Amino acid sequence: MKTPPFLLGAALLFWGWQTGFLAVSAVLALALEAARFIKARWEFSDEDFSRIWLFCSLATLAATVYAFTTNDGPASFRGLLQDPSLTAQNLASSSSTRTAISIIRWLPLAFFLFVAAQIYSSRNGVPLETISLILARRWRRAKKLGQRPPESRVVNVVPWYFAGCLFAASAHASVSKTFFWGLGLLVIWALWPQRSARFGLAVWAAAAAVAIGLGYAGQLGLTQLQRVLANYNPQWFSHSSGRAVDPWQSRTQIGTVGRIKTSGEIIIRLKPLEGSPPPLYLREASYRTYNGTSWYAGTSRADFVGVNPTTNLTYVLLPNKVNKFGVNIACYLPGRKALLPLPSGCGRLENLFAFTLEWNTAGAVLAEGPGLVIFDARYGPGKTIDGPPDSILSRTNEDLDVPPREQPGLSRFIEEHHLAGLSREQQLRSISTVFQSEFSYSLWQKQYQPLRPDETPLSRFLLQTRHGHCEYFATATVLLLRQLGIPARYAVGYAVHEGFGNSYVVRQRDAHAWCLVWDPKDEAWHDLDTTPGSWVAEEAAQASPLQSLSDLWSRIMFEFSKVRWGQTHLRQYIFLSLIPVLAVLLYQIVFKKGRSRQRQKSDESETKPAWPGLDSEFYQLERQLVLRCGGRQPGEPLSNWLERLAADPALAPLHGPLAALLRLHYRHRFDPLGLNESERETLRREVWRGLGALEGLEGTRSSV
Amino acid sequence: MNLLWRMLYRGYRIISWIWYRLPRRFTPAGLGMLAALAIASVVSLDTENTVAYQGFALLLFVLLVAVTWGGFFRLRFTATRLLPRFGTVGHPFHYRVCVRNPGPKTQIGLTLLEELADRRPGFEEWKAVQLADEKLVRSFRFKQRRRANPFKVANIKAAAAPPLPPNQETDVHLEILPLRRGVLRFTGVVLGRPDPLGLFRSFARAEAAQTALILPRRYPLPPIALPGSMKYQEGGVALASNVGQSEEFVALREYRRGDPLRHIHWRSWARTGKPIVKEFEDEFFVRHALVLDTFSDDPHSEVFEEAVAVASSFASTIQTQESLLDLLFVGAEAFCFTSGRGLAHSDQMLEILASVSVCVSERFQSLERLVLNHLGAVSGCICVLLAWDEERQNFVKKIRLLGVPLLVLVVRAPGDGQVLEPGPMRDEPHRFHTLEAGRIEEGLAKL
Repeated sequence: MKTPPFLLGAALLFWGWQTGFLAVSAVLALALEAARFIKARWEFSDEDFSRIWLFCSLATLAATVYAFTTNDGPASFRGLLQDPSLTAQNLASSSSTRTAISIIRWLPLAFFLFVAAQIYSSRNGVPLETISLILARRWRRAKKLGQRPPESRVVNVVPWYFAGCLFAASAHASVSKTFFWGLGLLVIWALWPQRSARFGLAVWAAAAAVAIGLGYAGQLGLTQLQRVLANYNPQWFSHSSGRAVDPWQSRTQIGTVGRIKTSGEIIIRLKPLEGSPPPLYLREASYRTYNGTSWYAGTSRADFVGVNPTTNLTYVLLPNKVNKFGVNIACYLPGRKALLPLPSGCGRLENLFAFTLEWNTAGAVLAEGPGLVIFDARYGPGKTIDGPPDSILSRTNEDLDVPPREQPGLSRFIEEHHLAGLSREQQLRSISTVFQSEFSYSLWQKQYQPLRPDETPLSRFLLQTRHGHCEYFATATVLLLRQLGIPARYAVGYAVHEGFGNSYVVRQRDAHAWCLVWDPKDEAWHDLDTTPGSWVAEEAAQASPLQSLSDLWSRIMFEFSKVRWGQTHLRQYIFLSLIPVLAVLLYQIVFKKGRSRQRQKSDESETKPAWPGLDSEFYQLERQLVLRCGGRQPGEPLSNWLERLAADPALAPLHGPLAALLRLHYRHRFDPLGLNESERETLRREVWRGLGALEGLEGTRSSV
Repeated sequence: MNLLWRMLYRGYRIISWIWYRLPRRFTPAGLGMLAALAIASVVSLDTENTVAYQGFALLLFVLLVAVTWGGFFRLRFTATRLLPRFGTVGHPFHYRVCVRNPGPKTQIGLTLLEELADRRPGFEEWKAVQLADEKLVRSFRFKQRRRANPFKVANIKAAAAPPLPPNQETDVHLEILPLRRGVLRFTGVVLGRPDPLGLFRSFARAEAAQTALILPRRYPLPPIALPGSMKYQEGGVALASNVGQSEEFVALREYRRGDPLRHIHWRSWARTGKPIVKEFEDEFFVRHALVLDTFSDDPHSEVFEEAVAVASSFASTIQTQESLLDLLFVGAEAFCFTSGRGLAHSDQMLEILASVSVCVSERFQSLERLVLNHLGAVSGCICVLLAWDEERQNFVKKIRLLGVPLLVLVVRAPGDGQVLEPGPMRDEPHRFHTLEAGRIEEGLAKL
């Protein structure tokens, strides 16, 4: 099937127009359509086509990897493997779609060289076994076994490339109908040579118009259908999972019945720097207002301020802070924007590659950057980035706010444990002691009788059940302290306790909540964790027996992510190492020794192969004889022609030498052994002599 | 399990039907559009990220318009095929179809397509082929070439019909490539009219039932000295020729007890008054047995087809003017066909071989019985075997014990590199040959 002239160029331009590669497509179109005017053709062998195909396949593969990594592919698939929730599925699906669309969009570029090779080659098609790996293997196998190879089929790749251009042109989102009209025009153009001879132009045009008209109505119908379906689309996807923490809100599991499910997935890796002890906690955020069963950032919601890096990717959070310790932290940034888990009292972040960094008075540091960041956090005791508590005189004091529903329960607890009237330090110590001694840690909440109207899940925990997970303890502690007049905040983050070689790992199940309590003496917030120490063992008991495998996988994914997110130099190395490979391949394709570049004649049937003997000087003699006596008759051999010429008395003396020369010429031309040096020289010399004799005859004739 | 096979067979019927119909109904451009529509239908599910749905709608309606146009085509015509009687597997041949247009208008832009009888197998045959395939080619071994569809009997290219003037006959030339031996049955001739866009063909059909016999593939054989010597043939050529018209008549003599009554020369009896009988010269000539092994699990085995081709090569090459050739095989029953010395021509032998099929109802012993009963009359034996197992080795051993010279040819599957032990032929290794399917010609050249 032949494509009409300039159709391929038009398809390429259409692709470029639709996908934003107009300049590139114009160059490609020009290169391909120039073949109609350039007569030079390349002699490509099957092996050459195989190499070009390999080159194009490698380019597509590289494009695939690039598209996959730039579209959050590894991160979303890691999420899907570790937590196959609907959200993760959605993320992975969306990432795959973006990747696929990117690849489709680049297809004409990736396979340009291949189609150009066919167009600029002297062949009209490409052997199928150069494309198909299966066929190529079958060929090799047949060759190895000495069998008859499978029948070779040649495929013209131009129509496929045309279809690929149209397909690639569709890989973009648009409400405009330019794609439809452009596609319609190109399809009808492509169908023009296929039209039936039975029907006139009017019938053909009418059929095409009807088809396009119906197609237009059809695509409008599809758009409408999609809208209708979208309206029925329920809220399928759950809230984000993993360690994506909302800086403004923390929904606790307080009041939830049943077991809190935890995961052993490693999400943060730490390495203490220069003999520093590991931090006990990595805080992501703190919250100020409690309502229902959720904590809210309150007024800290809107006070994020940006931090500009100083030199060398360093961000200073607390300018004059003395940071005695340091820790190297590697963590993922889900959605490329997430809160950084930082040790308490962190004053400076080093080697942090982030696009933007913001922090608020609730101590949350929000980073936007690659999917994985590895940085050094410098920290020390004392001042933190959290803002001081609201003034007691202020109208609203969020750090002392206790929901009215919780107050009766809290008051009863304080009364039962005689906490009122104690000094601040005694109160802190007593609360810790009570929780450690009278309460227990549990991930399981039994189904009790329904709550009474004056009862809350928290008051039931404090006064009745006395067991729960960290959110119960942290919330209760914060509210108890506030009830006692001590400013406190609810902090979420991770506990660091698990060594892993000379570093530490933090798993999903190490997510923790604790209390921040204000110390007016040094005017700083301090961690206060009242959760019974057994929580670590309790959580660890939930570990999967296959945790080691999971850890191995996590490590692999971590290393992959490091490469993916540019946290190593491997990508650059791979890219640099690919350049010479591709260059060698390209060199092999274009400049392979022994390949001849031939000029194609206007008519292929007239192409003269380089037969031996074409350099014979006898042809010059023949030309002279033709000029003098007229050419040969169709089908007349040279020998007969010479005999006919000998009838001319003027040429009769030349008949003998000419016949001898003809024999030499034939031997030079057709004898596989050819002429030896002396015979070749004789032919040359005698021809010159014959030419001289002819000139002499001409001179005689003119003088006469 | 059988239910699963039945479902697969049903699927095969449907897919093969579609696979047969699609390229007939759709032009190459139409097939391309159909493939593009299939791809677009998948991609266009995502209407948010691509505009492929616009392409899907366009392609769908272009094809719908083309197919709908196909519903309005009526044409009456008659067709007569000028078909050769025989063809050979793998060798294309040309023939003509005379199409007569009885209508008042000249018909142009039509395509002529042949219609062959449905050769799709029944369930049992199909299942046997699938099971045999599973033994030969392991799953997901893509580099192993799967054999061609054994149920496809021929490739016939559609031919563009020249303009068909009214009330005139026009010749359309077609080329056919037979792929399987046996009877090739034509059922009708179809004229296809493409729609204006040139994507879909609408059909008009004419009955034209006809057959051609496709002979097995034959390979050139080198000049070979067949084993065995001349042997007395009881009854002389009378066995092989016209009874009572023997040309080996020598003389008349008096009747002796035991002479067959049909040898009495009645005229001489009438003239002399005593019974006189005709005396014949004893007949000594070469008679070979060509034994074809037909016992295979696979009804369309490539090895079996090659064995038939080898047998055909012998049947068509051996000079039978001065010798006889008996073809022995077991099909639905035991068969023995004799050719040579005017009894039958090698063409008839090839016709028989064109229709031979594997034997599944009998066991190998039936062939052994047939051959051993027949060996008394033959000078030598050529055995074309499908395997070299113990059963066949015993068979060969028995023939050798009877002192009959033997040439054994074992046909093997392609790529079977195992060297076969000659076994009972070890003392005459030059008369034991293995032939690899696909390289038979090469193997036969070594004979």
